[in-house]
Amino acid sequence: MTDAASGSIELSGMQPRELQRQKGIGFVSQDAALLPWRTALGNVRLPLQVNGNGASSDSLAIARQTLSAVGLADFADYYPHQLSGGMRQRVSFARALAISPELLLMDEPLSALDEMTREEMRYELLRLWERQRPTVIFVTHSIPEAVVLSDRVIVLSARPGEVVADIAIDLPRPRHQEVERSPQFLAYTYKVKDALSSGIPIATPAN
Amino acid sequence: MESPSQRQQTKNPARQPVIPAKHVPVSEQGAGIQPRRAIPALALGYILPPALAITLAIVVWEAWVRAASIPIYIVPAPSAVIARLTGDLAFFALHGGITLAEALAGFALGAAVAFTGATIMAHSRFMERTLFPIAILVKVTPIVAVAPLFVIWFGFGSLPKVFIASLITFFPVLVNAMVGLRAVNPGALDFFRSLHASRTETYLKLRLPSSLPFLFAAFRISIPLSVIGAVVGEWFSGDRGLGSVIIVAHSNLDMPTLFSAILVLAFMGIALTVLTAYIERKSLFWHDSTMAI
Repeated sequence: MTDAASGSIELSGMQPRELQRQKGIGFVSQDAALLPWRTALGNVRLPLQVNGNGASSDSLAIARQTLSAVGLADFADYYPHQLSGGMRQRVSFARALAISPELLLMDEPLSALDEMTREEMRYELLRLWERQRPTVIFVTHSIPEAVVLSDRVIVLSARPGEVVADIAIDLPRPRHQEVERSPQFLAYTYKVKDALSSGIPIATPAN
Repeated sequence: MESPSQRQQTKNPARQPVIPAKHVPVSEQGAGIQPRRAIPALALGYILPPALAITLAIVVWEAWVRAASIPIYIVPAPSAVIARLTGDLAFFALHGGITLAEALAGFALGAAVAFTGATIMAHSRFMERTLFPIAILVKVTPIVAVAPLFVIWFGFGSLPKVFIASLITFFPVLVNAMVGLRAVNPGALDFFRSLHASRTETYLKLRLPSSLPFLFAAFRISIPLSVIGAVVGEWFSGDRGLGSVIIVAHSNLDMPTLFSAILVLAFMGIALTVLTAYIERKSLFWHDSTMAI
């Protein structure tokens, strides 16, 4: 996240070509955007097949492994329309992770999910992240989500999208559900909230 | 006194077996939309009512022709048509087969050219601006006007018929394929970009499958059209195919043969449409259109 830390959405426009070519960049969008004619397994396999390097038996094994890492080993042969919204998004996580990216771009990946699934998914993501520990640029509108997941939270103002604050989150890893009850977590949440309201033109005084 | 108005009225029942035949595909598609829960009783609900209606129309038609002693060179009784058809099934099978082969060959050719054109135009606005007006020119030219020309150019064999069928098939496939190749899920397209996928790869793995629902919509229009194209071609030249059977029967006032040929064409249309719908359902199992109630 070093020299790329100047924006959020703009980042995908400035991706270094070379890293892309080496399949170093994983991408997860707001909706799962799976290919409906491919099974869950076929979708996870897709990034390994594109640009065709890597033997097909390898790609199959990797895809199976990644799919079971997101807890969908039993759903390998299901088509997207047979899966729930949360499952589909997990498939898209697996699809992004299958290439073991160095950089993972996530554009509000949890925003299409219901609140319950969304909260569970945070910790699911953290668990997945622990496997390879790629750099993740994660765009979100949820403050707790930002604090739970991140090492750094960069707050952008509404319009124009300028960096308002850069907050380091020093919570111990691995983080679990209990972290949300800790006083540090709450302190960080307020800090982010204050930064956010300072970025909003009609600022309300924060106490 | 009564007969002119009555004839006018009963002309419709007389055509019932033919005209509903063209419409049956629509209700077939309606039936096809819920195949997943298809139980015999449900299928019966779709088959029985139209079958009864057609049977009733045939009975009325037969009764009317007999009661009013309509001459056979005006309107033949259904029994006479059936007798002609079953009496020389090999004749109708031979000519029907020729027409079918010409139609399908023309469809395949037209669809292939259209899809290639759509691929080029979907990737380049410049090519679209260059080629699309030509495609429209092909579209707006009446096929009947071109048919005699094709006979002069391509002789009296099957070739002009195939070309006419392909011409009539071309435009619906072109337009639908173009829209389909561009109507791609933007998130999926972003994903392909994030992988630095080549144009070819994006085309084969993303655009082509995405365009299938649009293509099948085009096929539903084009396949019956290709039969029309083949028949029109046969009117102008040659002595083979149902089109020429119709022309010959017409000049001899041989109504049973004429009606039989029409009947065979109608059933050909039904069979092709049902077959297309079946293939569509099988290959688009993942698409919303096959899942809707």
